[in-house]
Amino acid sequence: MTISRRNVLLGATAAAALGPIAARAQTSEVAIGVIYPLSGSSAAIGVDAQHAFNTAADIINKNYDFALPLAKGEGLSGLGGAKVKLVFADHQADPQKGRAETERLITQEKVCAVVGTYQSAVAVTVSQTCERYGVPFISADNSSPSLHRRGLKYYFRASPHDEMFSAAMFDFFDAMKKKGQKIETLALFHEDTIFGTDSANAQTKLAAERGYKIVADIKYRANSPSLTAEVQQLKAANADVLMPSSYTTDSILLVKTMAELGYKPKNIMAQDAGFSEKATYDAVGDKLEGVISRGSFSLDLAQKRPMVGLINEMYRAKSGKDFNDYTSRQFMGLIIMADAVNRAKSTDGEKIREALVATDMPGDVTIMPWRRVKFDEMGQNNFADPVLLQYSAKNFVTIFPEQAAVSEAIWPMNS
Amino acid sequence: MTAETIIQSLASGLLMGLLYGLIAAGLALIFGLMDVVNFAHGEFLMIAMYATFFLFAFFAIDPLLAAPLVAAALFVFGAVVYLLVVRFAMRAKANAGMVQIFSTFGLAIVMRGLAQFFFTPDYRSVTNSWVGGKTISIAGIYLPEPQLIGAMLSIAAFVALYFFINRTDFGRALEATREDAGAVALVGIDKNRVFALGWGLGAALVGLAGAIMAIFFYIYPDVGASFALIAYVTVALGGFGSVFGAFAGGIIVGLVEASTALILPPSLKSVGIYAVYLLVVFIRPRGLFGSM
Repeated sequence: MTISRRNVLLGATAAAALGPIAARAQTSEVAIGVIYPLSGSSAAIGVDAQHAFNTAADIINKNYDFALPLAKGEGLSGLGGAKVKLVFADHQADPQKGRAETERLITQEKVCAVVGTYQSAVAVTVSQTCERYGVPFISADNSSPSLHRRGLKYYFRASPHDEMFSAAMFDFFDAMKKKGQKIETLALFHEDTIFGTDSANAQTKLAAERGYKIVADIKYRANSPSLTAEVQQLKAANADVLMPSSYTTDSILLVKTMAELGYKPKNIMAQDAGFSEKATYDAVGDKLEGVISRGSFSLDLAQKRPMVGLINEMYRAKSGKDFNDYTSRQFMGLIIMADAVNRAKSTDGEKIREALVATDMPGDVTIMPWRRVKFDEMGQNNFADPVLLQYSAKNFVTIFPEQAAVSEAIWPMNS
Repeated sequence: MTAETIIQSLASGLLMGLLYGLIAAGLALIFGLMDVVNFAHGEFLMIAMYATFFLFAFFAIDPLLAAPLVAAALFVFGAVVYLLVVRFAMRAKANAGMVQIFSTFGLAIVMRGLAQFFFTPDYRSVTNSWVGGKTISIAGIYLPEPQLIGAMLSIAAFVALYFFINRTDFGRALEATREDAGAVALVGIDKNRVFALGWGLGAALVGLAGAIMAIFFYIYPDVGASFALIAYVTVALGGFGSVFGAFAGGIIVGLVEASTALILPPSLKSVGIYAVYLLVVFIRPRGLFGSM
């Protein structure tokens, strides 16, 4: 084989590319990629997420007296006290941009792990890209059940998915029926990307299994300028429970349009998303008294675990908001990833992956109501118990399951 | 499907359609005047909505009172955009069309970015306005007051525009400049002045729409995008260069959208709009009332 000019160039490029990696081994920073929508229609989510991740990084990099992994002491002890450095990337809620930005994070920014993404549709491409490069990815807050079932080795999710969440909703319906409430008909209202469709599929399946009748199944286009036609169909169906799976913009418009068209749903059981965002309650909270949303976090946990309140204060100092279902899971996503890097004592993808597989974190060292964090062979944590939260008197209170409930559910919601 | 559902759908469609027409009017005016498509039109709407929101939040001015103020502010803004950006873009000797597209498109991105930086990407809403959330019910048909007022304002704006363009000297100057910008210079009409006023007027119309929309829609830096798309279709459907085409186009878009949702699943409701648009393009490429 003769050495052509191209070979020489390739060799030089490779050497140049390897240079930073060799240099990085000695630096005292560990770069972790965080990919969220920082501009575009869900930028508000991404900006809140940045504050949540920065709060987590603060706790890891400085010394705090919390019963949380990595809080005590500065930096990652397994890597000689190396600090966690977050590299933020913007996917604009677009799966293709998510793919490109993940590639940039891995090849240019040299991150050793990635956390993301809010939209499940973007998590699909981000996790595939990570898999290709052998870089571990944690779905901090994606809830589509299909995500962990794609045979990916580097995919992990500590929080529940929508089948677990929806099962909790139907458990609740069953419990309510036992108490003599009439719940027979359901109306599904969901957006048209993977989040909405996966959620509706899970709910349809559960409804069939447990004998509930779906009288309207309305799939709508996300960020619609108007939801009048959709709401008319919901109104005509007038189900016992309305079950929306909607992001913030559509949630606000849905509630406003329902009021304008004189439709008062008997009950609302929401699949989180827009229904746990402060913006929705700021805009239309007066019409949402008694709405129930699934979640995996509730601030009332602070009564039992004081650090939850203290960490929430730290987050509020940055963002001006309380932790919600999303920001709390984002916070935990980074803690879990950094904990694995720390135990791996390396920034090598395979070693971090092994550490993630070995993760076994008791629930009481997290800020969540989870039993523990332990991943199954598909990377899903099955010990994350969902809760149902009811919005009443401008606050969310845990109403289900019984062992976590702080108060009785108000049912029907308008009573 | 009951008669009530059908009437309700059509009534809602008509109200929305009149508002779509008002949003598109400025776009049609500017295009008709100087063949420039303003790709920042949606961002003009966004700025108007934010202006309404801030007037409400800081000075407790109801959006209905704020509407003329916002329209006036947008008038100035539109004229300034012409004088600072578009005027220079139009001087391009080669590829003038592209330069205009990129300059207004770039302006759109800058405006969105600045809005996100200064206003944060949080979703805002005007709560507790005079007519917000109120609705009139006639025999089971619900007509939300904000949209009703928006629709009436839209009709009033188009009537005023009609008299303005056809009965005033400035309107005639506008028409003349549109016909032949070179010739009007010979009779002493300053082309730049007419264009700047045209941009101002176009922006004021979208300002009016934005003030009404702020009552019932959420506000965030990207809010203009979905409405701008509808505005482009409205203008293309109604006819390039025809302001009244935009009026008719808006109504058609609103009604088609509402009736499509009666037949097809709601996630496909924009299919109807684009199907009608394609049909118009096949049969009458210049649009229903297009004069070019």
